[in-house]
Amino acid sequence: MKNKIKILKIFVIVILVLLAFRAFQLQILEGEYYYNLSEGNRTSFRPITAPRGKIIDKNGIILANNNLSHNLYLLPNEVPPNVDISLLLRNVSKLTSLSYELLSENYNYSKDKVNRENALLIKRNISQRDMIIVTENKKELPGILVRESSLREYVYDNLAAHMIGYIGEISLEELRYNSTQGINSYHVQDMIGKTGLEKEYEPYLKGSNGVRQIEVNNLGEMVKVLGIKPPIPGNDIILNIDYNFQKEVENILSDHINQLIKLAEEDEEMYSPTGGSAIVINPNNGMILAMASFPDFDLNTFSGGLTEKDFEKFSSDLMKPLLNRNIMAAVPPGSLFKLVTGTAAIEYLNVKQSTEFVDDNGLFYLPNWSRPFKNWHSGGEGKLNFTKAIARSNNIIFYKIGYQLYERYRGEKLVQTAIDYGLDNKTNIDLPEEKSGSVPKMALDEYDGNWYPGDSVNLSIGQGGLLTTPIQLVNYISAVANQGTLYQPFIVDKIIDYEGKVIYDQKPKVLKKLGFDQDLYQILHQGMKEVTMSSYGTARSTFRDFPIKVAGKTGTAQTGTEEVSHGWFGGYAPIDNPEITVLVFLENGSSSSYTLPIAGDIIKKYFKVNDQKT
Amino acid sequence: MYLNKKILKNINIYIPIVTLLLIIIGLFAVSSAVEVNNDTTGYIYIQKQIIAAILGIVIAIIIQFFDYRLLKEYYQLIFGSSVIILIMTYLYGANISGGRRWIDIGIVNFQPSELSKIALIVVLASILDSKEEYNSLKDLLLPFIYFIIPFSLIIMGNDLGTALVLLFILFIMLFVAGINKKFLYVFFGGGFLTVLLIIIFHIIFNTSIPFLKEYQINRLIAFINPSIDPQGIGYNIIQSKIALGSGKLTGKGLFQGTQNQLNFLPEKHNDFVFSVIGEEIGFVGIIVVLVLFFFLFWNFFKIATEAKDRFGKLMMVGIISLFFFHVLENIGMTMGIMPITGIPLPFISSGGTSMVVSLIAIGIAININIRKKKIYF
Repeated sequence: MKNKIKILKIFVIVILVLLAFRAFQLQILEGEYYYNLSEGNRTSFRPITAPRGKIIDKNGIILANNNLSHNLYLLPNEVPPNVDISLLLRNVSKLTSLSYELLSENYNYSKDKVNRENALLIKRNISQRDMIIVTENKKELPGILVRESSLREYVYDNLAAHMIGYIGEISLEELRYNSTQGINSYHVQDMIGKTGLEKEYEPYLKGSNGVRQIEVNNLGEMVKVLGIKPPIPGNDIILNIDYNFQKEVENILSDHINQLIKLAEEDEEMYSPTGGSAIVINPNNGMILAMASFPDFDLNTFSGGLTEKDFEKFSSDLMKPLLNRNIMAAVPPGSLFKLVTGTAAIEYLNVKQSTEFVDDNGLFYLPNWSRPFKNWHSGGEGKLNFTKAIARSNNIIFYKIGYQLYERYRGEKLVQTAIDYGLDNKTNIDLPEEKSGSVPKMALDEYDGNWYPGDSVNLSIGQGGLLTTPIQLVNYISAVANQGTLYQPFIVDKIIDYEGKVIYDQKPKVLKKLGFDQDLYQILHQGMKEVTMSSYGTARSTFRDFPIKVAGKTGTAQTGTEEVSHGWFGGYAPIDNPEITVLVFLENGSSSSYTLPIAGDIIKKYFKVNDQKT
Repeated sequence: MYLNKKILKNINIYIPIVTLLLIIIGLFAVSSAVEVNNDTTGYIYIQKQIIAAILGIVIAIIIQFFDYRLLKEYYQLIFGSSVIILIMTYLYGANISGGRRWIDIGIVNFQPSELSKIALIVVLASILDSKEEYNSLKDLLLPFIYFIIPFSLIIMGNDLGTALVLLFILFIMLFVAGINKKFLYVFFGGGFLTVLLIIIFHIIFNTSIPFLKEYQINRLIAFINPSIDPQGIGYNIIQSKIALGSGKLTGKGLFQGTQNQLNFLPEKHNDFVFSVIGEEIGFVGIIVVLVLFFFLFWNFFKIATEAKDRFGKLMMVGIISLFFFHVLENIGMTMGIMPITGIPLPFISSGGTSMVVSLIAIGIAININIRKKKIYF
C-alpha cells in the first residue's frame, strides 16, 4: 500500500509540473501571441464617414448638402451562434417600422459581398424613432448596430438634377476600377458619385474617412473610445450656375414643353415632344450659366439607395428622365448647321454677303438624279443674297453651296469646317458620359468612293449622318458669336476645401482658335441678325420686337425614318457685345418655331426684362 | 467525543494555512471576475463565498471533536442518505443548464452531488478497509454496487463532471487498496475502449452517444479541435487560452484583464476563474496557485503515510483523488489540455457547496492527521 501511495504521489507531482509547463508555454513562450489576440478581441475599428463636399451655386446657395442619418447594420460575427439570422431580422421588424421582407432582402443582397468581420448594411437612413428603438433594445437584438452616417440631401429636389447627378452604392466594377487606379479608399457599400458633377468631381467631393478605435466587450458594444482619426470632409465645389436663373430656365423649358404636350393631346395633327433641353453659356469664356434637360427627376430618390420600384419606374419611362439630353443626345442639328456650311462658303467659295443666289421653284436637282431635294418652303423664293438665304434658312441655296463645295473639294472642306467647330469631338465639359456626336469623316478621304454629291448636299443642311449634341452646338454658336474661339465649357468655377482654401480655380480654357477672317464672322452675324430681326427671318416671330437684340439660327432636323423632327434654336445676345449664347433643343418637337418662345423667355429672364407683349 | 490538547500538537499547520491562502486568492479572483469594481451586484458572490468559507471552517473544526473512525461505523447511513438526497434532487431539483443538480434550500442553492463525493470516499474506504488484497471478482462486487448507484444517479442528473470525479476516486482507491491489476486493466481499459468506440462510431456513423447530451458531445469535439467553430462550441476554450496566455509573466493587473472585464471569458467567476488569475496576475499568479496546491498535496500524502490505520490511509487517498482530479481537470481545461466539464477549482471557484465540501474534506484530513498515533486516547 505504501508503494502504491508513492506511485500516486509521483503521478500527482508529475501532473502538477506538467500544468506548470503548460502555463509556461501559453504565457511565456506564446504570451505575445495571445496578448495580441486579446487586444484584437478588445479593440474594434469603426469607420467615420467623411461628410461629402457640398455643391454650391455661384452665390453661395447650397444645392447638395449632407444630413446626419442613421444606418442599420448587422455584425455577423457578433450574432450569437444559437441565434437564427432570420429570427433576428423578424425581431427587428417587430420592434421597428421596417418590414421583414425589406430587411431580409437587403441582408441577402449584402451578405455575400462583405466579410464576416465587417458590418452588413441592412437599411440605410432609418428614422429617428427606429434608431432609438434599436439602440434601446440592444440586448434583444444581438449583432444589430446603428451607426451614424451622412445622407446626401439635394436641397431643391429636381433642380439641376442632370447636372448635379446622384450618388449610389459603389458597384463591384467601380471598386475594381478604382483599385486598378490605385485608389483603395473605397469599400463595399460606400456611396460614390454615379452621374453628373457628383461623378465628375468624386475625388474632390469624397473626402477621406476617419476611424474610431474603440474598446468593445464580447457583445461588440462600445465600452470606451481609445482613439480617433478624424475624417477629412470632402471639398465643396462652387458652380458658375446661378440657382435662380437655373430654376427659371428649367421652369421655362418644362412649362413650354408641358404646354406643347397638352396642345398635342388636343390636336391630332401635332406631335408631342418627347423631351428637350436648354443651355445658356457665356460665349467669352465657356462658363455654363444654366443647363436644363426635360424631363427631370428628384435627386433625393437616389440618396438613400434606389429602391427596386424606383429603378423600374425610371428604366421603363419612355421619356428617359435620367438622360441628360444636353450632353447625351447625339442627334441631327438640321439647319443650325448652316452656319458651318456658310463658313465654308465664305472661306472656300469666296461667297460675300451680297452674293446672289436663286431659288426658282423650291427644288434642287443633282445631275443624273431624278428625285429633287426640296426646300422646307414650297415654291421658289426667287433671288436671295447670302445673308437672306441664312435668314430664310433656304435649303435650295445651301444645297447649291454644298454641291459647289463638292465639285471643288468633294466633301472635304465642309466636313473639315464641321470638325473645326468641334462637332466631331467632345467639348470636354466637366460632366461624365458626354457623347461626341459624329461627323461623316469618310468625306476627308480623297479616295473613298462612298462619298457622293448627295451626301455633301444633305450635309450642307445639317442632315445625312451628322449627329451632334446640344453642348457641341452651343459651343459652336458661341465660337461664331465670339468670332472664332472654341472654349471648353465649364460648370464648376472653384473648388474649396473644408477650411475655405481655394484648391482649384477654373480659368477659361481655349480648345481651339479657328483662324477665320473677322469679315467672315461679320457676314455670319449679319445672317443671324436677319434670322431674328428682319421681316423675313425664321425667328422673327419672337425676336423682331424683342427688348434685347438677339442674333440666332433656327433648325428643324429630320430624324430619319420618323416623320417628326427635332426643333432647334441657337443664338446669342446682345448682338453687339454677346454675353450669353442660348441653345434650345426640342426632341421630336416638330418645328423650330416652338423653340423660339423658350429661347425668348430665357433671354428675357437673363437680362431681367419684363415681358412687354401680352 | 474528545479533543485534547495533546493531539492538537500533531496538527500539520501547513494544511490550514495553504487552504486559507487559496481561499483568499479565490476571493480576489472572484471579485475581479464578477467585476465588483464596476458592478455592485457582484458583492453578493463575495458575500456568499465568505459565508460558505466560514461555514466550511466551522464544520471542519467541529469535525475535529469526533474520531474519523466513527465515519466507518455509520458508512451505510452516510451512503443511504446521500443516495436519497440524489434521488430527491433528480426528482425535484432546479433545472439549470441542462441538468438537475441543485436543491433550493431557502437561502442558498445546494448541490448534493458535491456531497456525494465525500460520501463515496467514506463508503469506499470503509468497505475496502476489510481486506489487504482483492483478487476475485466477488470481492469487487460490493464496492462496485456502492459506486454504481450514486454514479448512475449523477449521470441521470446530467452532471458528467462529477460522475468523472467519482470514477477517478473509485479507480485510485481500488488501485491503492490493492486490487488485482488485471481487474483494473479490464475494467478501466475496457471502459476506456468502449467510450472510444462509441465516440468513433458517433463520428463515423453518427450513432447516438448514450448518457451524453448534445452539448457534452460538442465539448468533446471542441476539445479535439476548437477552431471548428470558434464562435460556437470552441469559443470557451479559445477565449480561456487567450485570457491565460495574454497575462504573460506578470499579468495585466488585478481588475485589468480585458478578457475578463469585457466578458470575452465565459463562466469566469466559476469554471474559468483560473483563467482570470492567469490573465490578471500572469504566470507568477499561476505558479503561486500551483505551488500552493502542490504543498497541499504534499502534506496530504504525508498524512496518508502517517495515518494510524488502513481506513485513514484510504480516506486520505480518496481525498487526494478528489482534489487532484478537480485541480487537473479544471486547470487543464482552462489551458486547453482537458475537455470542458463544469468542475470547479477547489477553494477558488465561486460556489458555496464546493467550498463547504472542500473544507469538510480538509477537516477530515486534519482529523486523520491529528489522530495519527495510537498513544493518545
